[in-house]
Amino acid sequence: MENANYQKELLNQAGLEMMSLCISQLGKATEAYLNNDADLAEEVIYTESHVNALDISIEKNCERYLALYTPVAKDLRFVMAILKINIDLERIGDHAYGISKYVVDDEDPTPAHLIEALQFEKMHATIQDMFDDIMDAFENENVKSARKVFKKDKILDAINMEAFSIIETEIKKDIQVIGKALQLSSIIKKYERVGDLIKNIAEEIIFYKKAELLKHKGKKK
Amino acid sequence: MEVSIEKDIIMTSENTEKNESVNVQKAKISVKNTKVWYGDFEAIKGISMEIQPNSVTAFIGPSGCGKSTFLRLFNRMNDYVDGFSMEGKIKIDGANIYKKKVHVEELRKEVGMVFQKPNPFPKSIYENVAYGLKIQGITDKKVIDVRVEKALKQADLWEEVKNDLKKSALALSGGQQQRLCIARTLAVEPSIILMDEPTSALDPISTAKIEDLIFGLKEKYTIIIVTHNMQQASRISDYTAFFYLGELVEYNKTKSIFTKPEKKRTENYITGRFG
Amino acid sequence: MNKIQINRWKDQLFKIWGIACTLVGLILLVVFIGDILIDGIMRIDWGFVTDLPSRKPEKSGIYTALMGSLWILGLTTIIAFPIGVAAAIYLEEYAKKGRFSALLEINISNLAGVPSIIYGLLGLEVFVRILNLGASVLAGSLTLSLLILPIIIVATRESMKAVPSSIRDASYALGASKWQTIWNQILPASSGGILTGVILSLSRAVGETAPLIVVGALAYVPFAPGNPLDEFSVLPIQIFNWISRPQHGFIENAAAAIIILLLVTFMMNGVAVYYRNKWQKKWK
Repeated sequence: MENANYQKELLNQAGLEMMSLCISQLGKATEAYLNNDADLAEEVIYTESHVNALDISIEKNCERYLALYTPVAKDLRFVMAILKINIDLERIGDHAYGISKYVVDDEDPTPAHLIEALQFEKMHATIQDMFDDIMDAFENENVKSARKVFKKDKILDAINMEAFSIIETEIKKDIQVIGKALQLSSIIKKYERVGDLIKNIAEEIIFYKKAELLKHKGKKK
Repeated sequence: MEVSIEKDIIMTSENTEKNESVNVQKAKISVKNTKVWYGDFEAIKGISMEIQPNSVTAFIGPSGCGKSTFLRLFNRMNDYVDGFSMEGKIKIDGANIYKKKVHVEELRKEVGMVFQKPNPFPKSIYENVAYGLKIQGITDKKVIDVRVEKALKQADLWEEVKNDLKKSALALSGGQQQRLCIARTLAVEPSIILMDEPTSALDPISTAKIEDLIFGLKEKYTIIIVTHNMQQASRISDYTAFFYLGELVEYNKTKSIFTKPEKKRTENYITGRFG
Repeated sequence: MNKIQINRWKDQLFKIWGIACTLVGLILLVVFIGDILIDGIMRIDWGFVTDLPSRKPEKSGIYTALMGSLWILGLTTIIAFPIGVAAAIYLEEYAKKGRFSALLEINISNLAGVPSIIYGLLGLEVFVRILNLGASVLAGSLTLSLLILPIIIVATRESMKAVPSSIRDASYALGASKWQTIWNQILPASSGGILTGVILSLSRAVGETAPLIVVGALAYVPFAPGNPLDEFSVLPIQIFNWISRPQHGFIENAAAAIIILLLVTFMMNGVAVYYRNKWQKKWK
């Protein structure tokens, strides 16, 4: 048992590392976007390979843990959760990579009034907030923190829903911003998806701790 | 049949020269083309392998595949079996243990063994652990006391029995008896411990305790364990050897065997499809 | 249903038959002992045990015969026990399995079945005449030792075989030699069984008459033996002698002596049973 527990702790550490890495990737990508900082964006793009390597190593270690220690009950849910969280995190990393790509490819900064109009700063703040919650939930196996995420995701959804019409009006006002506006719109889409991914992670953490499945529950109501 | 471990474990001499930074360990036990017969029956059909020091090596395989016979070669417990004969070389720390000059008694002080069923002597707990020392001619009670205590602590049994050392060993539970047998083996201070299905007669909790013990002991000892329980092999061993019909089919790091076995037969066995 | 009833009925029938068979032996024994007790119990007092034999029945005692029996018992134990156990250890642990050891084994089993009078004749020729020991306690003991050796060997081997092989393995695996394993593990573990065998064979020796008569134990010995080369008598011979006298007093004496002899045998069997139980418990 001692050995199995040790291996499990290693997986847990790797999961935590992946999480903080992906969170920092998205943070840096956003910062690069807001400040039009191509160097920082390059760093994010460069670090993406670390994320991929860590993703593969976690997947391999999960396979090994399953094969060698045949976990059951809580231990089994733990590995399943880590596996799925890992996938979600890797996607978040991909989104950070995508945003950084925009920054590198397009040297002009995005007009500040667009960012303001689309409430992008608020979105960013909300995501950071959700990251804090999910990190706490993961690190301290805190289900309460995990549950906070669902409400906050609705803010993101609302901003995303409004974004379309706001962009429409902005483009009507000034046809020149069309490129930047569409770019920002896709970034907002990415952010909305990141919110969903965080929600998935929260579900996995709750599943691991409480053995209750939250997936697809909301849709039936 | 020769099976070699992944290159990163066993370095051949030319590799060693190129890559001096790699931590190369000399094999603790090296077996060369060993065959065993019981009368006309060829139980081991020419096996060569090297066992790494300070590691746990698991022997798995279906009943009658020769894994126990092979294990018992290392402390020459087969010598008493009627009709036993062998050829080939088995070296421990570089010395052939089947040479005429070798005293089996000396060999067995170096290579301890724990058996399938807990088999304490029908004596007190203390006497059980002290026995190996007494037959070596150690009579100083203080020395024996110290080593008995040390061995019982190593076997994680001291706390449970320290006040009942004079009690009969047969009054202990099965799991405790097996840990006593391990302590008895440790008291002689061997460098290799052979275990022949040490937990097959125990309940899951006792089994877990023994497994933890084995895992902890590998720091100081080279452990070879025969087991029918594949999960056990996967949980505690560093290397796994799969035997089938007297042959060594596959021998590799445990994590490789259990995630990506190279041979079809190994895969079929560990996935429970035959055997 | 019918078949089942028939089977049950058969079962019952056999049970009753079994009880009857068991009772035959028991009832006969009770009748015999009762008869003896009625005849002899009044005759037993301290004097009966300490008096020398005499021509008058009421003055006669069993002192010399009892002492003779005890001497025989002691000497036989000293001779037969080590030889028997050593032979058993050799056969069980050291002898290579082969035609020779198989022959030895068959012979030993056969010896256990040889009529005791034959042993008597052997003792007469070898010990009394060739070794010139005369009709002495030593010659008698040697003869009886021969008689019980096969029993001791068989019993010792059986109880050594009963020691689980795992004990042997454990001892060897710790680096013990063969002798260390036998001395430290196998003999202590089988001691109960060995003792049982030895005691049972000795209690047989105590009751033996024929070989001792052949060797030359006398019915009338006026003194208890003081050293192994003295002449002697034993209880069974004294009883035999008294039974053949015409006077009624001697019949009573015989009955009383039988009671004492039975007492000795029962006590020895009791000790044997005690050790057997203790030994069996060890392995449970």
